Amino acid sequence: MTNYQVDLTNCDREPIHIPGKVQSHGFLVAVEATTLNITYISQNIADFIKDNAQNWLGKNINDLQKILLPGLSAQQLNQLINLGIGSKNFESINPYNLELNGDPYFLILTQSDGNIILEFEPTDSDLDVDVQRSIGRSVSEILTGKNLNAILTNAAREIKKIIQYDRVMIYRFNEDEHGEVVAEVKNDDLEPFMGLHYPASDIPKQARQLYKLNLTRIIADVNTDASPIVTFEQGQPLDLTHSVLRAVSPIHIQYLKNMGVASSFSISLIAHGELWGLVACHNYTPRFINFKAREAAKLVGQILSSALEYRQDEEDTEQLVALNSAANEISARLKSDKSTSGSTIVAALTKGDVNVADITNGSGAAVIIDGVLSVLGHTPTGEQIIEIAGWLKANMADSIYYTHRFPEVFSPAKAYSATASGILACALSKDLSEMIIWFKPETITTISWAGNPEKPAEPGENGIMQLSPRNSFETWEQIVKNTSARWTNEEVSTVLKIREEVIYAINRRANEIRLLNERLQLAYEELDTFSYTISHDLRTPLSSVKSYSEFLLATNKSLDDKAKEILNKIVAGADKMNMLIKEILNYSRVGRAEIEFNKIDMTALIGEVAKEVTNAVKSDNLQLTIGDTPNIYGDQTMIMQVFTNLINNAVKYSSRSNPSIVEVKGRVEDQETIYSISDNGVGIDVNYFSRVFELFKRMDNAKDYEGTGVGLAIVKRIVEKHHARIWFESKLGSGTVFYISFRNY
Amino acid sequence: MKANWDLARYFIYLLEIIKNVSAPDIFYVEDDTDFAFLTKHAIEEVNNGLSVKIVDNGKDALDTLQQLCDNRIKPRLIMLDLNLPGMSGHDLLKKIKEMPFLKYVPVVFFTTSDNPKDIRASLEFGANAYLTKPSGYLNLVSCLHSLHDFWFTKHVNLN
Repeated sequence: MTNYQVDLTNCDREPIHIPGKVQSHGFLVAVEATTLNITYISQNIADFIKDNAQNWLGKNINDLQKILLPGLSAQQLNQLINLGIGSKNFESINPYNLELNGDPYFLILTQSDGNIILEFEPTDSDLDVDVQRSIGRSVSEILTGKNLNAILTNAAREIKKIIQYDRVMIYRFNEDEHGEVVAEVKNDDLEPFMGLHYPASDIPKQARQLYKLNLTRIIADVNTDASPIVTFEQGQPLDLTHSVLRAVSPIHIQYLKNMGVASSFSISLIAHGELWGLVACHNYTPRFINFKAREAAKLVGQILSSALEYRQDEEDTEQLVALNSAANEISARLKSDKSTSGSTIVAALTKGDVNVADITNGSGAAVIIDGVLSVLGHTPTGEQIIEIAGWLKANMADSIYYTHRFPEVFSPAKAYSATASGILACALSKDLSEMIIWFKPETITTISWAGNPEKPAEPGENGIMQLSPRNSFETWEQIVKNTSARWTNEEVSTVLKIREEVIYAINRRANEIRLLNERLQLAYEELDTFSYTISHDLRTPLSSVKSYSEFLLATNKSLDDKAKEILNKIVAGADKMNMLIKEILNYSRVGRAEIEFNKIDMTALIGEVAKEVTNAVKSDNLQLTIGDTPNIYGDQTMIMQVFTNLINNAVKYSSRSNPSIVEVKGRVEDQETIYSISDNGVGIDVNYFSRVFELFKRMDNAKDYEGTGVGLAIVKRIVEKHHARIWFESKLGSGTVFYISFRNY
Repeated sequence: MKANWDLARYFIYLLEIIKNVSAPDIFYVEDDTDFAFLTKHAIEEVNNGLSVKIVDNGKDALDTLQQLCDNRIKPRLIMLDLNLPGMSGHDLLKKIKEMPFLKYVPVVFFTTSDNPKDIRASLEFGANAYLTKPSGYLNLVSCLHSLHDFWFTKHVNLN
């Protein structure tokens, strides 16, 4: 035999429903259901009939009955069996009182495939109270519990009263099948097990299956040897699933012995058809309770099961109702007409009594829409959320992603596992740039295991690996990190629902934006017409104002000096207004013009501008130097406007310096060509830095210089149209440098 | 009603023509009455001896020109605004060039538009000059001064 690998899953393969043995406090006979011939019999029957069990195999039950049960007629037993077979249910018959060698016994009948199992166990119980009577009171006691925990503790207490074991615990199975003691009532001298966790392997899968089919199981005394069942049916062991005497696995016996337990009794707790948990009862001395007492305990277990089912449903429903009502309120807000802009979608999700964090049981949420992060409740920091979003963007395969162990998949998250051990993310846009993330905090930080849950396997004497159930049940603490409560199906489906609503709202918003754009386009066209109106209709009468004034001045000889002065002021005002109108036209023309990108000969362009400016100034005071003039790409006319404006400004605002020094030069860098226009003029006040490029904004110290406040606004518009950048450095009283950086195409 | 008014205006024009049997030196079509007024005075300032005939729409212009033709009276210069109610300056120019009697009278556009398209079209249709209206009375006088020098003094000399 090769070394058989024993591991934690090994117990799973032990066929515990066909152990081939019964516990020795009773004995078993199985008969073929139609012939009533004996097919299986436990060896310990010998203690009652003074004959070898084997000798009775194949014989009719009636023959055995004559010896075993002289007080019972053959007819009675046959009737009993046939009644059970006929009604396919032995529950109404069980237990049947009879006497064996003068002692009271219970006969318990069950069916196993084609066989009827007859099990005999003593009526004598170590229990001397009348269980039937106390049940009614117990049940009402149990149900007074206001919440699940109270009900469980009440149940444990009442069951302990009924069966009087040293310790009664209620185990609850978690999703990963490990068990946790959620209620306990025990004798004062015993060490508490409350809150301890037991690894899933302590109660292997097939045991769970049996617990679902047969709701009680007693191990009367771990220190007695089980009695083998004999049969002629080779290779067809008797299925003891429904048996009351079934011997349990020797591994389990060892497990109990290691714990110091002598007797064990358990009642299954079933909710929605699944094994919710167990009432596990331990006694530290052998303690047998008879069938009736066990049935009474089973009844309590069944009542507790339905209470659990109801309470659990109620709690689940309450939770679901809370999540749903939050989700409904938010979707109502999203659907309202107001939520059409990005900010109002965010507001619908984050503002108000309930927000998007309330649609899950998480402790916080983050909303990323339009590149803006909004956080709710307990979340990691903004930077960390951006980091998470980045990871999600790279790793999210679906529109929704969730985990309750996020730091295990993304290790930087260990730094903030306290708030974000669980994350649930849903993408709102295809490129994953918009999303909502919910967070769940790290929950169980410490699990108290009853002993080291990793059951060690040790090589036995013959070198074969043997499973040895752990000896120590000392609390073994395991720190479970980076884990949050799981995301439930309800949470996920609520999130999906909200996701639909948000996407719908976003799409609607996109439509609104498209409509707005169309309206803006129309407005632009109207502005165009408006511009024309200004140019024509406004300039014509303005021209008349000026012309009539001049006409009066030129033709009316009787005007005195005062009248002449006033008329001259009218002319100057009209001129100023005319210039403003022209500038506005220029400004709006730049906004609408399409750019034609061409290579511009900058040496020629700047030369031309410089000549024009110098001619206009006609001053020896000006020292205008032109440095390198690397070529750039752009619209010839517009770039000309930019340099005309900037050089004009430089010359204008330095005209009172002596000499007035203006320098224009360009340099080529990696990605861009940067031109600078510097002067030693009046400079710009820091307080105005942000407003320099605004339309009609003129600095206080520029009031003495002629200008409209449109030039730099036009420059800025042109620069933006060219995807270039403009900025400046300036010091009041010592000069200004404007920089423009053009992209190298 | 309107027809009666038109009729009345027509008679007034006829009367004017009869009264003004001598040819106007300058025939000017301009709908901006302010500018027309100023221009008339500016021309007088340039040369007090010149007579100016001004109408303010294309239809009246055509009618008057037809009258001039019928009376074999030829103006020395025609000035046209571009944007006119009823009929544009360009259309008017085309009609003038279709009148054999007036075909060789120099036509000058005098308008606010500095749109290159307008300038090109005007010259293509046979305008002899294209002037953008200057701003202010003083500028107007100097503008008309050079116009006068070119079309009346030098031209005469050439002839």
